[in-house]
Amino acid sequence: MPQLNSVYRHRAADRVLTTVDTYRLSGGYLALEKALGEMTADELLYVFHRSGLRGRGGAGFPMGRKASFLPKDAQLAKYLVCNADESEPGTFKDREIMELNPHQLIEGMVLAGYAIGAERGYIYIRGEYEYQAQILDAAIEAARESGYLGSDIAGSKVDFDLTLYRGAGAYICGEETGLLESLEGKRGQPRLKPPFPAVKGLWASPTLLNNVETLAALPPIVENGPDWYAGMGTEKSPGTKVFSISGHVTKPGNYEVVLGDTTLRELIFDMAGGLREGRSFKACWVGGSSVPVLAEQHLDTPLDYESLQEAGTFLGSGGCIVMDDSGCIVRASLRLASFYRHESCGKCTPCREGTGWMENVLQRMVDGEGRMEDFELMEALFGRIGGKCLCALADGAVAPISSAIRLFRKDFVRVVSEGSPLPQPMSPQLEMSGGRANA
Amino acid sequence: MTAEEIRAHLDPIRDQFAEERSLVLPALKFAQGEKGHLTGDDVTEVAAATNLTPAYVESIASFYDRIYLDPVGKRVVSVCVSLSCMLNGSDELLEHLCSREGVSHEGGTSADGEITVQEAQCLGACDRAPCLQVDAEETMGPVTLSEADAVADRLRAEPQPRPVLR
Amino acid sequence: MPDYAPVDLTGTDLVEFELNGRTVKAPAGTMLVDACAANGVEVPIFCYEPRLGDPLGACRQCLVSVEGIPGLTTACSTPVAAEMMVDTVSEEVREAQDGILELLLENHPLDCPVCDKGGECPLQDRTFRFGPGESRMVEPKRHFPKPLKLSPQIALDRERCISCYRCVRFSQDVSEDGNLTMSERGGRSEITTFTGDSYNGRFTGNVIDLCPVGALTSIPYRFTSRPWDIQNTPSVCASCSVGCNTELTLREGEIKRVQGRDEPNWQVEEGWLCNVGRWGYGADQAPQRLRQPILRDGGETRECSLEEAVAAAGLVLAHEAHTTVLLGGDVTVEEAFIAKELAAGPLPDAQVGSAGVVGAALGPLRALPAAQLGDIDGADLVVVVGGDPANQHPVAELRLRKARRAGARIVLVGPRAQELESLGESIRTAPGNLAEGLTSAVAQIATVKRPLVVWDELDLDAEPDAAVVLATALGDNAAASQLELTSEVNGAGLRALGVAPHSRLVDQDLGGVLAVRANPGAGPGGDAWNRALDSGGPIVVIASHHSELTERATVVIPCSSHFEHEGVLVTAGQRAQRLRPGAAGPEQSAPGWEILIALSHRLGVALEYRSPRSAFAAATASAPALSGLDYDTLGDLGAEIATSPASDVNGAGAPRAHDGEGLPLVTGRSVFGGPEAHLSEGLVVTATGEEAVLHPAEAARLNVADANLITLNSPNGECTVRLRLDPGAPEGAVFAVRGVPGGTVESLLAPDRAPVNVTVNTA
Ligand SMILES: Cc1cc2nc3c(=O)[nH]c(=O)nc-3n(C[C@H](O)[C@H](O)[C@H](O)COP(=O)(O)O)c2cc1C
Ligand code: SF4
Ligand code: FES
Repeated sequence: MPQLNSVYRHRAADRVLTTVDTYRLSGGYLALEKALGEMTADELLYVFHRSGLRGRGGAGFPMGRKASFLPKDAQLAKYLVCNADESEPGTFKDREIMELNPHQLIEGMVLAGYAIGAERGYIYIRGEYEYQAQILDAAIEAARESGYLGSDIAGSKVDFDLTLYRGAGAYICGEETGLLESLEGKRGQPRLKPPFPAVKGLWASPTLLNNVETLAALPPIVENGPDWYAGMGTEKSPGTKVFSISGHVTKPGNYEVVLGDTTLRELIFDMAGGLREGRSFKACWVGGSSVPVLAEQHLDTPLDYESLQEAGTFLGSGGCIVMDDSGCIVRASLRLASFYRHESCGKCTPCREGTGWMENVLQRMVDGEGRMEDFELMEALFGRIGGKCLCALADGAVAPISSAIRLFRKDFVRVVSEGSPLPQPMSPQLEMSGGRANA
Repeated sequence: MTAEEIRAHLDPIRDQFAEERSLVLPALKFAQGEKGHLTGDDVTEVAAATNLTPAYVESIASFYDRIYLDPVGKRVVSVCVSLSCMLNGSDELLEHLCSREGVSHEGGTSADGEITVQEAQCLGACDRAPCLQVDAEETMGPVTLSEADAVADRLRAEPQPRPVLR
Repeated sequence: MPDYAPVDLTGTDLVEFELNGRTVKAPAGTMLVDACAANGVEVPIFCYEPRLGDPLGACRQCLVSVEGIPGLTTACSTPVAAEMMVDTVSEEVREAQDGILELLLENHPLDCPVCDKGGECPLQDRTFRFGPGESRMVEPKRHFPKPLKLSPQIALDRERCISCYRCVRFSQDVSEDGNLTMSERGGRSEITTFTGDSYNGRFTGNVIDLCPVGALTSIPYRFTSRPWDIQNTPSVCASCSVGCNTELTLREGEIKRVQGRDEPNWQVEEGWLCNVGRWGYGADQAPQRLRQPILRDGGETRECSLEEAVAAAGLVLAHEAHTTVLLGGDVTVEEAFIAKELAAGPLPDAQVGSAGVVGAALGPLRALPAAQLGDIDGADLVVVVGGDPANQHPVAELRLRKARRAGARIVLVGPRAQELESLGESIRTAPGNLAEGLTSAVAQIATVKRPLVVWDELDLDAEPDAAVVLATALGDNAAASQLELTSEVNGAGLRALGVAPHSRLVDQDLGGVLAVRANPGAGPGGDAWNRALDSGGPIVVIASHHSELTERATVVIPCSSHFEHEGVLVTAGQRAQRLRPGAAGPEQSAPGWEILIALSHRLGVALEYRSPRSAFAAATASAPALSGLDYDTLGDLGAEIATSPASDVNGAGAPRAHDGEGLPLVTGRSVFGGPEAHLSEGLVVTATGEEAVLHPAEAARLNVADANLITLNSPNGECTVRLRLDPGAPEGAVFAVRGVPGGTVESLLAPDRAPVNVTVNTA
């Protein structure tokens, strides 16, 4: 079992830190006071940069570098936007941060806002997180009352305030430019890039957009210094990452690991309690549903960006979905395809038409009407969709399905050649445990 | 909901946005709070309150899953059917709720108008699979079939005023 | 429609780049699709449309490979840079483009044989040239009950839609009406209006031209023709003085459709048309169309042949001691020129006059550098003085909106409620106060780099002092220019020929009358005109449609409409543009110029012009403003005529005095309520009527109520119209829409449009 270095205070304190006081008691808002009082914006930017922190929303782009892309001299207002849309199947790490530790996010945003010269930040939270939104609302209000938001923050002459903006049920609004469109009151359809948000983002102003987990990592980085953070993990994957793990494991939940120190096997079997009695491992989507699926042979892959990439997948959002041998890979693939069809915004042709087509073919297979030529058709579809779209949703739709057909071809072939509808697999949780509401 | 009321609701947040258009989603959610869904008249009022055309407002509204342009029950129960929940029996859960509420297997509103059951995409509660959500606020799981019954009964027994969403 | 933006390959700012192994040039920053097209390489597109603003990059049809950019990139959104290496033909590119096409066709019904767009459809065209064969999809396609009536004029076949967003972007970003939208998400997306609403607006028809598939079609055109039995002819719209360039679709000599041109005129309409320009052609087929020459002899009325009618016309006019030639405001330069020649020779002691106003003080303004509509784009300040471009000169509205989007400041000053008020600063002036209202605009003109004044001929004619103020302000800024929106379609052409307005003739003994496309009885001072016509000699009318005048004429000779003959109109921006012979017209009709020539033969002094071309050549030789022009130099896009020399400022001291009692009357025409709108089958449902508009407070004072009929009385006449109350209307004035067929608002006016007051009473 690897040693745990918690970047997220509620994990280290094993407590709920929703009030300013509880948060301060565990060392909160010290980084803010230090940075705003003692550091220039450029020095702070350099700290972000030195830490090596990579974006935790999915793409893993170095946070400090992205922040440095914002034009320095621009006359336009600058904005900071926090992506709290967290809608990727299997991912619920941001939820936990906002629920248990909202001030760390707020503090991180003040730091980032100061570093880029923004006076207003927005948190775009998915509409389904109303409970978490209310916690954030209260936390923002409390932070404002305590002088950590608003004008002249902590006597530093720095102004920065936050607006919480609620989405209304659209996965695509997690894509950065889809999010900006939605926040501007438009249909949440992604924009062409370039220009990137750093240059032309919210209302065409330079905008830094980061994930909740990314921004919440900033206070400890400022407090302990970038070298502390960079000292954890590997060279290319510094720091820690929260993995959300769910599916067929006995202890689903969020687990923070030092990148590179833990293997997928350890995450599943040691941290998340492993599989149920008598079950064997079948497949796992380690970085959310938009990444290539992994099989048994990949279990010893260390959890870091480069190792996972070598194994043929991505770290993504860190939403790890595990399936044991009671699950059916064809059905699972169909379920993912349905998700992407449902969530495609419809702007570009390959995604709008292709996600539906993929779903149709997989549905046919599950219904016992698959044809051998469907494999060729699917390959063609992957080629027609992958890399052809405006945003990465479509690539995310192709990745888990094309990889499944490649890795588990035998299962697919069996389903198609048997030609009878697949039976529903059994559902372990239903009769097992009692329900509970909102933690 | 009148444009006046909507405007009054928006006024405190108006200056937080560089363009008025950003108010359309808060306005839609607020206007929806009353009945749980929006009528054509509501859309027109939102349009008037935000200086947009009704066509534009409707086009925004229809983009989002959680803005309802058709009537829904007093409470909306969303059953997550995405992968983690599916692996843990969400399909049975959905089917169970649908048949108990007497609606089609894809969801719908019970005959007494109390409860709408609908499929949802990942609710971000995969650690509690299979999960469901009541309106946008109460997420629970793992939910067994009998617990689902209890939830439905509870919702019927204590009809809450519909929360006003921001 | 113009697929690609025009690219100037002659400039000095060109960069070299490599295109499929060839070194070519284009201005830096040009979008790759356009740069390729300019260099002879066609990259297929669907969503790209240069006139809709920034590229959307949605359809993904234009994927090409550019060295240094990973994967493929959309050529519609990638600007050219020096030394770029572009490949549009590699296997990878071809495969990607074919893939997009297959996906587009996945849910497309492939019903080309019954589709109106069949034969002229970019999707069909591409499928035919490059496309995959059978779709590999086994599931049923997306199906919709079809078609949907989006508006009285536009049908939507949803299953043919490829979600290219062109129509939606037009509505949102060009006409800015915001009424056509995309609803739902993903594969469920649909083009739609607000539930239950019809897609109404002034410019809605453009979405038909924009649609690259057969999803949006013209209801009046639906199923009337197939692409192989039609011909297309470029021409010019004569519904208002903007003079949009059009393309006429003809089948067996009949006009079936009017579209924006594939090669638009970037100086005029940019390829857009208003709905009247698009569907007004139906007026030619209306029952009101004159199809048979008529002779009235004493009490007897009979139809006759064209020859007989011309002979009779010659006979009756030759017997008169003196004659009057009345020209409509839309006669062509050729018709006006020949009519003048007739008056100078063959006709007994003749005088000529045309519709229009004297505009005594407008000379200095007209002498300033003339702008084209296209110049509005580059202005940083546009001052709109008088008028109501949205209704009177519709396509000008689109140019103004475009300028505003590009950051220009728009200031609207004038005496009437403006449709375009929201575009910028709006200053409503009481009648007589225009000069004063211009104060702030004048100050701004002095301080900006490229001011442009768009002015309305009628409103400035009424307030000459304002014209002087404007001319002075513009004269002081060397970069300023002015664009006159004339009230008459060919007003500038008539002026170039030296034809004076006919209002000065109304008090005289008219003698025999030859009216060419003229109907003064329905215009300003109609009552006075009717008295003059009643007491005059025989009336010969050359006209395309029945009117009050044809009802009382001795000889009626049907002539071609503007869709049927050749000639030149001088439209906004002093731009001479060619009408082309398109439709055949009724058998017993002839082009106006030909009838006039035949008449000259009957009058014994034969004019020897054998074609409009030769008449135009003679006209240019006699009119300095037209010199140097001929049909070839005008070509498809027209050319500016010479600016008129500065003239004396007569009567410029003060606003013209108002005659009569009561409130000052302000009037305005609306193209959407004009004859084309009312006579054309495709437009009758949307045609607007005559109405009077009052501020509610004013109505209360006058004790008249909304939606009631009211009677207006001026020294010139009386009229009864429906009242509408509008809090946006100015107090202290009555506004009335004139120019509606059968309407009587015009009769309130003096023949020379001298300002009048009116009394208001419940009818
Ligand atoms: C379809 C799609 C959905 C996404 N959803 C989310 C999301 O819910 N939350 C998130 O932080 N990033 C999401 N992303 C990634 C964002 O586009 C963006 O890269 C990220 O928010 C940047 O923040 P980071 O640099 O801190 O990771 C999504 C991307 C795509 C293509
Ligand atoms: S209707 Fe035509 S123009 Fe509009 S989105 Fe569909 S294909 Fe494009
Ligand atoms: S033409 Fe380039 S993406 Fe449509």
